[in-house]
Amino acid sequence: MKVKRLLILVAFWGFTLLGFAQKNDGFTSLFNGKDLSGWIMPGKVPGFEVADSVLFASPHNGSELFTKEKYGNFVFKFEYLLSEVGNSGVLIRCEPENPWNSGVEIQLLAPWTPYRDDLHCTGSIYGHVAVTNRPDETTGIWHTMEIKCDRENVTISVDGKVTTVANTDTVKSMQGKHVAGSIGFQSNHSKEGEFVKFRNVFVKNMDSDPDYVSKGFYHENAGFRSQAHDAAEVIGVPMIGRLSEMMSGENVMAQAGAKQVLFDIVAKVASDGTKRERNALAKALGKEQKSSRSKAVKSYFEWLLKMAKSAK
Amino acid sequence: MNEKLKINRRHFVKTAGIGLAGFPLIANAFTRVAPSDKIRVAHIGTGNMGGAHIRWFAGFPDVETVALCDVDEVRLGKARELLVSRKSSANPDLYSDFRRIIDRKDIDVITCATPDHWHALVAIMAFESGKDVYGEKPLSFSVKEGKVMLESLKKNDRIFQLGTQIHAGDNYHRVAEIIQSGVLGKIHTVRLWKTGGTSGLGFPANETPPKTLDWNMWLGPAPYAEYTPVKCHGTYRSFFDYSGGVFADFWCHIADIMYMSVHPKGLSSIDARGEVPNDGIADTPKWIDVDFKFKDLDVFWTTTPPKVPGAEKMGIGAHFEGEKGTLTCDYENRVVSIGNETTNDVPEVPKTISRSPGHQRNFLDSVKSRQQPESNLEYAREMTLPMHLALISFRLKRKLQWDSVKEEFVNDPVANFLLSREYRSPWSLPVY
Repeated sequence: MKVKRLLILVAFWGFTLLGFAQKNDGFTSLFNGKDLSGWIMPGKVPGFEVADSVLFASPHNGSELFTKEKYGNFVFKFEYLLSEVGNSGVLIRCEPENPWNSGVEIQLLAPWTPYRDDLHCTGSIYGHVAVTNRPDETTGIWHTMEIKCDRENVTISVDGKVTTVANTDTVKSMQGKHVAGSIGFQSNHSKEGEFVKFRNVFVKNMDSDPDYVSKGFYHENAGFRSQAHDAAEVIGVPMIGRLSEMMSGENVMAQAGAKQVLFDIVAKVASDGTKRERNALAKALGKEQKSSRSKAVKSYFEWLLKMAKSAK
Repeated sequence: MNEKLKINRRHFVKTAGIGLAGFPLIANAFTRVAPSDKIRVAHIGTGNMGGAHIRWFAGFPDVETVALCDVDEVRLGKARELLVSRKSSANPDLYSDFRRIIDRKDIDVITCATPDHWHALVAIMAFESGKDVYGEKPLSFSVKEGKVMLESLKKNDRIFQLGTQIHAGDNYHRVAEIIQSGVLGKIHTVRLWKTGGTSGLGFPANETPPKTLDWNMWLGPAPYAEYTPVKCHGTYRSFFDYSGGVFADFWCHIADIMYMSVHPKGLSSIDARGEVPNDGIADTPKWIDVDFKFKDLDVFWTTTPPKVPGAEKMGIGAHFEGEKGTLTCDYENRVVSIGNETTNDVPEVPKTISRSPGHQRNFLDSVKSRQQPESNLEYAREMTLPMHLALISFRLKRKLQWDSVKEEFVNDPVANFLLSREYRSPWSLPVY
């Protein structure tokens, strides 16, 4: 009884601690209002500074600002304010060394500058996908933007209204683009004296949600399957039940992916995991080994369990 | 022929006549070259390489092919036809279970061209029953298997030749002579490569195995798996349950020339990188690059040819870098560069290594002389070991430290776990 109560208590603490780190809706703040921790500016001239608790970009063509963390599938939301002829943007799924080649830019632009058509205005995937519902482009006031990358589906909203919907698999110019990477803010890309401000920057990483990641194992596009495999490996032990289900299921694609990822998780946790993680691993594997009805799956879990237990 | 072999030979008694039946030892002393002194061979596994075995061995006048075995009836029937087309007098016994061949006392030699996961057990059971083995490469499925094979060979005083037939060619012998002569100086780096890798094989659904195939026996010591054709004949090497991909398939052919020439020792670290295909059920490397650190020797394996002259035209090759020169070779060709001079040979290096009479002939001669052949088990095991270790590094996605004396990874229980695989019941490796 005592043990049980303690467990409940620990679970409760866990929940509340989580509540501090993340908002209840699964969003994590990426900007603390004080400094640029969690971000990198690889360029020579810094393009951003923190002023009055907001991200402020005024140097002309200074360095872009990128998250250290890489994101594949996510909801990224923030508020922005452009100066009168401001020009900036958000880079997604990009490599900071090579952002426009590896990823794409969601445009943030004052409406009366050149190249302001629907393919290059605020909310467009700059040069690749036009807005279908042009947003309010008033400068000098705060707007909200939300960018959702859900595998091949990219949805962009400004001030709560969807402006752009793209299926990246069908956009010719986007073939070969990365499916994961940093998220970046472009520095002031207008002339000297213009600026852009950002605040309330939040991300929800969908690749840390086991149910979301599981769906990726069934994706027709091999790139998104690999992305799901990588994400599952990062999640680790909490994926094991779902991977076991996939292995016992009918979908050969998911079977094969699950088999591989199970090996990767066990190899990683057994090699580098803490004692607690290794115990959780052995427990999860033992459960699947006992409950599995397929002969092949059962023997695979037996083997994985032995591998997990080989590390003392 | 050794005494044991002869005593065991029931057929000899039959052909030598009743009068001599009680005195086989005496009779043997006089029948060294008699027709009845033929080496009695059985072939286990009759697919692609098995077919080559049938043709090769049928070509020797001192060989009688007495039995064929395959878990696939269709293949077995074709193998019989092939043998008869080569030797019309042949009348082999046909088996689906190789243990019936192991049981026979009148068979001297088996050749093994089963899938890789069967190699060790077939050889060990043959050794235990007093038979010599010509076994296909790769030697083994796991590091442990190689060890037990060698123990079994020694305990039973048997002959084994690994089926690395390139070994027997003149080119490999000449390359070894040139390198060992010292004209290139001390070799500090070897680059090995083989282009291409495992392809995904798509996502075929499981099927009921054909009635003509004993799938359970095909799996043997490997984990139970549902049947789908690509897991079986021809493409089984794409799966870690049975092999290790193109890398495992070709490593020994080209690592062979490195071991013949410089015989690396003291392996201390293995660092593999690569990728598994994402477009199918295959799980072995689509590409793999490996850095090996031996004592005084760096060895690099790559899936694309290294940037050295001549390599880009070679799908498989070895490049030796010495203090005074380099040598690049594949199975048939070699290019030697010393200073500014590039040639195909160094005539002043004398011919010091005797040439093979042919890989299978070398083996048959060994069966008679009881001297181990060129690609003997001890040599083959040492040569195969880095391949297994590289695949473990590949699967674990990290660099591994190796203790070459203890033959285990340093403080790495998970990597050490992968040095062996428990067999599926009822199969087991003997413990010596």
